[in-house]
Amino acid sequence: MALVVLTDVVKRYDGKLTVDHVNMGIQEGEIFGLLGPNGAGKSTTISMICGLLKIDGGEILIDGLSVAANPLEIKKRIGLVPQDLALYDTLTAEENVTFFGKLQGLRGALLKERVAEALGFTGLADRAKHKPSTFSGGMKRRLNIACAIMHRPKLIIMDEPTVGIDPQSRNHILESVKALNKLGSTVIYTSHYMEEVAAICDRVAIMDKGHVIACGTEKELRERVAQEEKIVVKATRVTEALLEELRQHPRITRVEITGDELVLFLPSSQGGLQDILFIFAKHDGVISSLRVEEPNLETLFLSLTGRTLRD
Amino acid sequence: MKTILTIMAYELRRLVRSRSNLLNMFLLPLVLIFLLGSSLSSVMGGKAPSSIEQVRVAIVNPTNSGGSEASGMLAELLKLPELKEQLIPLETESREEAESGLRTGKYGYAVIVPPGFDEKVRSGGQAQLEFILGKDRTDNLVAGTVFDNFLDTLNYTQSAMRVLGPAVLTAAAAPGVEGDSVQLGELGKGGRSYTASQFYAVSMTVMFLLYSGLTVTISLFNEKENHTLFRLSSMPVKASQLFIGKMLGIAVITIFQGTTLIVLTNLLFGVDWGNRPLLLILFCLLIIIASLTLSVVITLFSKTGASARSVITVIIVGMTFISGGMAPLPEAWVNSAGVFTINHWALQAILKMMLHTELAQILPNLLVLSLICVALFAAAIFSYRKVGYHG
Repeated sequence: MALVVLTDVVKRYDGKLTVDHVNMGIQEGEIFGLLGPNGAGKSTTISMICGLLKIDGGEILIDGLSVAANPLEIKKRIGLVPQDLALYDTLTAEENVTFFGKLQGLRGALLKERVAEALGFTGLADRAKHKPSTFSGGMKRRLNIACAIMHRPKLIIMDEPTVGIDPQSRNHILESVKALNKLGSTVIYTSHYMEEVAAICDRVAIMDKGHVIACGTEKELRERVAQEEKIVVKATRVTEALLEELRQHPRITRVEITGDELVLFLPSSQGGLQDILFIFAKHDGVISSLRVEEPNLETLFLSLTGRTLRD
Repeated sequence: MKTILTIMAYELRRLVRSRSNLLNMFLLPLVLIFLLGSSLSSVMGGKAPSSIEQVRVAIVNPTNSGGSEASGMLAELLKLPELKEQLIPLETESREEAESGLRTGKYGYAVIVPPGFDEKVRSGGQAQLEFILGKDRTDNLVAGTVFDNFLDTLNYTQSAMRVLGPAVLTAAAAPGVEGDSVQLGELGKGGRSYTASQFYAVSMTVMFLLYSGLTVTISLFNEKENHTLFRLSSMPVKASQLFIGKMLGIAVITIFQGTTLIVLTNLLFGVDWGNRPLLLILFCLLIIIASLTLSVVITLFSKTGASARSVITVIIVGMTFISGGMAPLPEAWVNSAGVFTINHWALQAILKMMLHTELAQILPNLLVLSLICVALFAAAIFSYRKVGYHG
């Protein structure tokens, strides 16, 4: 069952389409990745899902309710982890979480229990009485998450929650996302780190220039570019005749030379690898290393847009 | 309502936790009131009337030099009991002796009576005496006032006689002075006067209450700059609730600030805030409302926190200066340019309260300040609806 449904959603800034007729369905209980370079429209889409921005066209339904018609009701079901730290430095960690918990309608013993739970979940229980100004970057990020999950929201939206933190904190956050999902929350996770999305998300939508250019599981997306594989060969004694024979080979679509490496593109490496080894032997080329690169989300983005995710 | 109270409570908590904020709100005005009140007390009213010593006046009357033309009129004047507190008349033989006595400090003032003074006056001539001033300004002022008054009275009678006939002369046969010629006190002000401490206690309190608006601006922009507004906007909280909650929090701490300043200036500097405490509280509340609403308008139309803070600071300091709150300005200035400031109406009203002025004289200030608040409140609502408060 779809928890979040975006139908033909449009957002314009100064007449320019920032989100261009986006259609998307996010199933209840899944971790949904939103991948794309900066300026792709991810944050705008998330802001519209949270009711922070008005939709210029189309409709967003969460749990069957229209975001435009029921903004306050929707906001009770959402926990937003903003891209930027959104904390009060003059309040302690516990007070920060308590304040946002109260605004979510929690009171009394339940509030105390949920605050302790959120701080414990993010590994900050022992720093509850400390102010965020004394925290490391990773701890601040975790507190940023705690402030969004204390009311056990049905939908957690994380907007690039691992920006600028150390690998240990990043792993902690990624594990937290999985754990929250196991506890029953649906998660929308945006990032421009392909490997993060690939590691934790059940399904991924790739956005570029306001469009969703691909959507599916990682496997489904990889299969879209599986027709073309890359073989990277590091070799010496590479003659012009050797290169020419590689280029003329019916299974090799193109040959690129980058530094001391040859990159050979094939529709599929099956059967092609033996031919390549034979051509090298024939021309006395000496191979020092060879690797076959399987397609990934980065490759997919590259093949769809001609740019990398970090361009 | 719970949401508004929560936002208010946490706004208060954050304000109270900021040491610089507390110092600015409570310590700085007290220090300014103390410094300005004590350093400028000499240029303002409110001093106790100072006492004056009797002036030793050398009288050179022709009779002293053996003539028969000694002035009986002057002799009668000098016998008046009211003058005994102010003058010690000392008959002197000659002008030279009087001048010598003035130089040595034996006399503080000298009066030379011309020969035939009484006859000249009785025949309708102008009364004239010669005065030689001494070294002390106050002595000269006191003695000069007495004898000037004496001559004025005589000359006035002479003029009346010319117009109305000699009968007047009979009526004025015994020229003298009705009551004291010299009286100590604030004659020009006709009653009580405020002290420098009172003046600066009011002007600084008004100015710092107006600064509550700056706290609003800082708070509203901090929510944007710290990205907490983004998170708050994603929660089930209406923007109006957030706005009202923050305003209430700042209003509460400003009310506490005003109360503290009033109580502490009274205890520490002996500032008498007058006999109308409820009216004083009402004026403080109106100042706070005016300040908060004015700042909301400026904040909503400002692109950055820095520009909003600058505009508000310039307005507050400017209004305080124009209204005469920094230093007492000429009455004409205060009553012309000053009337366009919030400070003017509050400052003048509270000063009137301190002087125990009748309520009827304070009510116009209350009316004008209330109208300013209504206008600013309407402008704030209009601005909010037009611009809104977004992250």
